[in-house]
Amino acid sequence: MKKVNKLFVGATSISLLLAGNIALAQEFRGPVRIVVPFAPGGTSDILARYIAPELSDAIGQPVIVENKAGAGGNIGADFVAKADPNGHTLLLSDLTALLAAPSVLPSVAYDIESDLDPVTMVSYSPYVLGVSNRNEFESFDELIEYSRENPGLLSVATSGVGANNHITTERLIQDQDVDWTVIAYRGGSDATRAVVSGESDMLLNGTTASLPFVLSGQMNALAVTGEERLDELPDVPTFRELGLPGELDGTYQGILVTAGSPPEVVERLQTELASILSTDDIQAKIAEQGGQARPSASPDELRAWMTEQKSELASFIESAGISQ
Amino acid sequence: MEFLSFLDLSFFLLVGFGTLVGIIFGAIPGMTATMAVAVCLPLTYALGLNHGLALLLGLYVGGISGGMVPAVLLNIPGTPSSITTTFDGYPMAQKGEGEKALRICVIASLVGGLVSAAVLFLFAPLLADFSIKFSYVEKFLIILLALSVIASLSNSMLIGIFSGVIGVWLSLIGDYSISDGGNGHTRLMFDFMEPYLFEGFSLLPVLIGIFGISTILLEAEKGVKRDVAGERVKIGKESAFSFSIFKGSFTNLTRSSFIGTFVGMLPGVGGSAASVLAYTQEKNLAKDSSQMGKGAPQGLISSESANNALTGGALIPLLSLGIPGDSTTAVLIGAFTLQGIQVGPLFIPENHDTWYVMMTALVLANFVMFVLMFFAIKHIAKVVMVPKHILYPLIVMMCVVGAYAINYGIMFDVWTLLIFGVLGYLIQKIGLEVAPLIIGFILGSQAEVYFVKSLESFGTYSIFFTKSPIALVLWALIAASVVFAIAMGFKSRARQKMELSQMHDPSHTASGKHHDSRND
Repeated sequence: MKKVNKLFVGATSISLLLAGNIALAQEFRGPVRIVVPFAPGGTSDILARYIAPELSDAIGQPVIVENKAGAGGNIGADFVAKADPNGHTLLLSDLTALLAAPSVLPSVAYDIESDLDPVTMVSYSPYVLGVSNRNEFESFDELIEYSRENPGLLSVATSGVGANNHITTERLIQDQDVDWTVIAYRGGSDATRAVVSGESDMLLNGTTASLPFVLSGQMNALAVTGEERLDELPDVPTFRELGLPGELDGTYQGILVTAGSPPEVVERLQTELASILSTDDIQAKIAEQGGQARPSASPDELRAWMTEQKSELASFIESAGISQ
Repeated sequence: MEFLSFLDLSFFLLVGFGTLVGIIFGAIPGMTATMAVAVCLPLTYALGLNHGLALLLGLYVGGISGGMVPAVLLNIPGTPSSITTTFDGYPMAQKGEGEKALRICVIASLVGGLVSAAVLFLFAPLLADFSIKFSYVEKFLIILLALSVIASLSNSMLIGIFSGVIGVWLSLIGDYSISDGGNGHTRLMFDFMEPYLFEGFSLLPVLIGIFGISTILLEAEKGVKRDVAGERVKIGKESAFSFSIFKGSFTNLTRSSFIGTFVGMLPGVGGSAASVLAYTQEKNLAKDSSQMGKGAPQGLISSESANNALTGGALIPLLSLGIPGDSTTAVLIGAFTLQGIQVGPLFIPENHDTWYVMMTALVLANFVMFVLMFFAIKHIAKVVMVPKHILYPLIVMMCVVGAYAINYGIMFDVWTLLIFGVLGYLIQKIGLEVAPLIIGFILGSQAEVYFVKSLESFGTYSIFFTKSPIALVLWALIAASVVFAIAMGFKSRARQKMELSQMHDPSHTASGKHHDSRND
């Protein structure tokens, strides 16, 4: 009986919701797709699946999450770039990866600035510098001191050439002027495996991937990116506290839409998404993923951030020689 | 036992439903266990963790085992790990023993699944520490070992190696990615192909094309007489299934199940290597392997027990390290994170209930798979009685839909399917072999990546010998497998010669036969 009641209440409330939204729903005719350019189960995918039902309630149309994986997110992004510009096809992706792509890859089929319009930033995920427990480094300074005395001896794992954590690793190397052997693994979990097994000495990676190993003692955390320390690791300093530059940063997830979509639709999306991302429920869920919700105040705010990031990334990647 | 409270009716229904849907996904060429899990992942959001896991593990086990159905009946491996099932399954189906073949497969799958679940339950944390010691060097050697068996897979070693090399060559087409230690340029193609072939040919369309479409082309060439299919294939009449087939298969079952579990727990090595290794080990070690490839139950047993044993194996690094063993378990991570649970070294100690729920679901899914398939086989096997002029167009349609769906809608995958269908047909026409070619195709690029990454990480060729004792053991196995293949080659050539001389000189027949049986 209980179940039946729940079903009934659910059905009634959905139909009420639909009725209530008809007036508001002129901007959206038919289902909205959130394209995730990575495989199901990743950070972008999970964020999209958190947001989809809320957005659906808000705009009164079904919201479908679609995975179009491949080429480091660029296949899905290209798909959205070339979609019908009606504001019904959204892209939820790691923005840092997309912004770095033109500088890292030999060719990218779309232009992130002219083929995609920004809607809002979604979240920020900090990086943790984890070292293998084979080396008993107690602090970041100790690590750097050892690296200076033994150039070329330590190796650092990355998720792949041109991956976000590769770029951040190169920043760290350049800033500290140390000589580490950079090894590009095939994806983050492979890089984590290498550090846990002692094959590589350290890596910079997202908290979701590294925290469990830090908490279980298989990896030592020496520093984190971002402005504040992590709640889970209150004793681990931020790079900023250690006097390192703010460009040593984590990753950002954001939502973009096909360029040329009607401005009123984009604005509506931005308003709805910003309010969804401000609810305690969604913020708690994002925190579980090791992230922090970061809705943009307006599409233009995100556009300005992207332009700045893209040129900064391009000049850094060129100077570090990451794209050959 | 607090976890028992999670095992309500809906738990059992979800395992059953998951397994059924999984079998269907596995049985449709081009749909995989990974897809089944990915498609149903959002449902778990509403179901809660324990019920969600019941559904997903059912899908996983069902999806892996469903691949046997088209492999046996239609010569189309539903999943890459059922390639070796086609070697003996399809010849049996052609002899009218499809039902028997499927029953053997189902039992072997059950054993493989249960053995790997037991290993997972008893040794997960221990084995996880072992599995992360497999760096690129050891993974390269495992793949080299699987590649080295190509020669012994075919009737003529030279043709086997030649076909294998073509497969490796095809696998190298595409972008030589910087992440894989390459130069970022495309290889083995013209510039105009770049938009389509940047990532190379994708595996499943190639697999379905080269096995499925080419089989249909070969059949079509024979000419289809209306409605005679049912008469020609008498299902299960010629020799009925009985459990006595498994007599003397204990070693094979155990060995193959452990090979499957072991390969499953090595992230990035992949299911096809597991069944290929299990199959060829049986071929090399069995007392009588002369019938393998022509419809021998032992081939089905090794292939299917190994590929179902992948399930438990792949969960070992996932649950004790948070590192998925294969693409399906990579999607499973999503189910955990959706519920706010971190899989990693702390998962099992901190989530005892979930851990027991998972084990229950895994074991249960294996039994449900067994019951569903074992008794449904009688009906499933009737597929081959459908007149071919109706059946084949349907299969082609399903293959096309599957190829289109596999990467979520890329039209070039359909062209890949058709290109490789025709290629597979031509290859068989000129006397080359499909099996070594596809194994070369799957393993070739992996071998290259791991080889290059090993050199990149360790900087010296000697690392392949000095990395670890594991590496040395693997070298010994590779050497043994090569020596064995050469010896087998000589033996079969000697036998052929003898048979030829017998034809010329009938007086030697008796002694020749005697000699023959001793050799076997």
